[in-house]
Amino acid sequence: MNSQATKKIKTNTSVNIWLRILKTMFLGRLTEERLVRLYHQGKIFGGVYTGIGQEAIGAVSAHIGTPDDLYAPAIRNVTVHLGRGTKVLDVFRQYLGRVTGPTRGRDGNVHYGEMDKGVFAMVSHMGAMLSVLVGGVMARRRLGKSTMGFAYIGDGASSTGDFHEALNFASVFDVPILFMIENNHYAYSTPKEFQYRCQSLVEKACGYGMEGLEVDGNDVIKLYDQIKIILEKIRKNNRPVLLVCDTMRMRGHGEHDDASYVPKELLLKYKEKDPIHLLKKHLLNNDFACEQDLKKLEKECLDEINQSYKKALSEPMPSPDDLLEGVYAED
Amino acid sequence: MPKTEMTYIDAIRSGLDHLLKDHKDVVVYGQDVGAFGGAFKATLGLQEKYGTDRVFDTPISESAILGSAIGMAMQGLRPIVEVQFVDFITTAFHQILNNAGTTYYRTKIPVPMTVRAPCGGGFGGGPFHSEELENFFCHIPGIKVVYPAYPSDARGLLYSAVLDPNPVIFLENKFLYRRIKEFILPKGEAVPIGVAQIRRTGNDAVILTYGAMVHESLHAAEQISAEGFEVMVVDLRTLKPYDIDAILSAVAATNRVMVVHEAWKTGGFGAELAALVAEHAFHLLDAPIVRITAPDCPVPFSPELERVYRPSVEKISEALLDLINY
Ligand SMILES: Cc1ncc(C[n+]2csc(CCOP(=O)(O)OP(=O)(O)O)c2C)c(N)n1
Ligand SMILES: [Mg+2]
Repeated sequence: MNSQATKKIKTNTSVNIWLRILKTMFLGRLTEERLVRLYHQGKIFGGVYTGIGQEAIGAVSAHIGTPDDLYAPAIRNVTVHLGRGTKVLDVFRQYLGRVTGPTRGRDGNVHYGEMDKGVFAMVSHMGAMLSVLVGGVMARRRLGKSTMGFAYIGDGASSTGDFHEALNFASVFDVPILFMIENNHYAYSTPKEFQYRCQSLVEKACGYGMEGLEVDGNDVIKLYDQIKIILEKIRKNNRPVLLVCDTMRMRGHGEHDDASYVPKELLLKYKEKDPIHLLKKHLLNNDFACEQDLKKLEKECLDEINQSYKKALSEPMPSPDDLLEGVYAED
Repeated sequence: MPKTEMTYIDAIRSGLDHLLKDHKDVVVYGQDVGAFGGAFKATLGLQEKYGTDRVFDTPISESAILGSAIGMAMQGLRPIVEVQFVDFITTAFHQILNNAGTTYYRTKIPVPMTVRAPCGGGFGGGPFHSEELENFFCHIPGIKVVYPAYPSDARGLLYSAVLDPNPVIFLENKFLYRRIKEFILPKGEAVPIGVAQIRRTGNDAVILTYGAMVHESLHAAEQISAEGFEVMVVDLRTLKPYDIDAILSAVAATNRVMVVHEAWKTGGFGAELAALVAEHAFHLLDAPIVRITAPDCPVPFSPELERVYRPSVEKISEALLDLINY
């Protein structure tokens, strides 16, 4: 018997949620690692864009919301989808253009979202989903729900006009949204120094008359505690908040991009701060979990992923006869 | 001078290089066009050669990219800006329509700006990386629109676009970037804006087309040539102002007209061409005009759907036979 197994496992009120977050991060990481392989094996039409290394922000915020809340994820946010309950199988179907997938093969890769889980399906245009989320939250609140919104934006997307208009709009109408900028240092090949010249993007909050905070986007424990406090405030005051999360894009912009423009030292620094590694370490060092439990959890996730991608590959593409089906809604 | 083989994208890069070298007032900017060389590598090596003052990256701010180019052009520079995908130009549309399109008419100040924008699908790009938006621009007075189908035209039209005193939307086709090659001179000549080119002669029908569809149309024409029919293919090259004379003489020579484009049907450029022919050459027609276009639905992602979405050689040749046998 390994000494780990005999250790007494402690618990506190957060352990369950941490474990759920960890599971979502495992699912996200392993799903995307499989997608990367499928891409390089030529099985995916179009591109693959991963959030590897950025799983914490999506996973924490997806698990902290209520069923009434609304989410507008962006390119790197597979863990928002999975955390809100989208099946791994559906992620594969989406990338593989299968008729069984969330967009029925009409759209691909990151452009999906399931409204019954409160998630908008993004368009490619940076910043375009932010005001859509603002409107969605406004509408649900008119219906008497206590909905708030979670928005995800890249450092690059913060340079769009749409970003500015949406944040100002949300502030003017007191729409409770947590606008999260995932500052992963790059927008495609462009480093953040060529994107903005404020010290930190958090300075933008002041121009909209909203509160702005900065967090370490890779540390689940800190992120969870901080977001929890912020959400209480957002829900109490009905005001939007800007949260700038420091993180790092660990792969290319997409799998077609080797990202040779990113300094190796920067990647190394953030490899040390890998969010999955940090959370596992925290759970183990504090005896909130034992090695075997975590291995088992990871294995379960991997099994689900292996079954899912094989199943998705075996499923049909949409029929060409249905090309024009669903351009307009029917009464 | 020996000719070298260049792809469509090589020719664009070569054109940018010559323009930067010969015209000190040319600047090139857009997202990731600097050291990275652009999403499609059209600007690879140019920043190194001409410096960060003349070739530079921008924030993700299309409206400011286009707006600043208009301002620079009004002050005598010749900016060439890249929009990473034409799909994203929509976030700057008002700059094109309202500033670029009206400035000269209102103020007599020319706007010699060139906007390069990669268009088209056929590679699983889905709804937001495959669009064909040419007709949105063609509708705007004061704007010129070119859409080359060959490396020599891509470079030659780029020379003309940049030296033109008006705003020019320079549409490039991503599907052709690395597929179409030509042996061309190291520098070559400017290709005039507004002049179409006959790519294939024939008297049984004419296809009016541009961009990637020039190549599909030529393949289709070859196919039905085996059945004894000879089809003329006219590559428009410029969509605004388009070559009315070339179109009308092609109609007079063939009496049967097909329009092929990758953009949507309703309100597409084919509608303009069909209207032109109906207006000026109705008496010459032996059959109704045929339009082969994408259907009126967003560009689908799944390969099975995109295959039927995009006009294909088969679809064109089938329709040609129907047109000829009308
Ligand atoms: C309006 C608009 N312009 C350009 C693009 C092309 N594009 C896609 S992702 C990207 C970089 C995004 O960077 P960032 O916002 O920092 O997000 P990250 O990829 O780092 O998560 C660009 C330029 C786009 N999608 N939308
Ligand atoms: Mg970024």
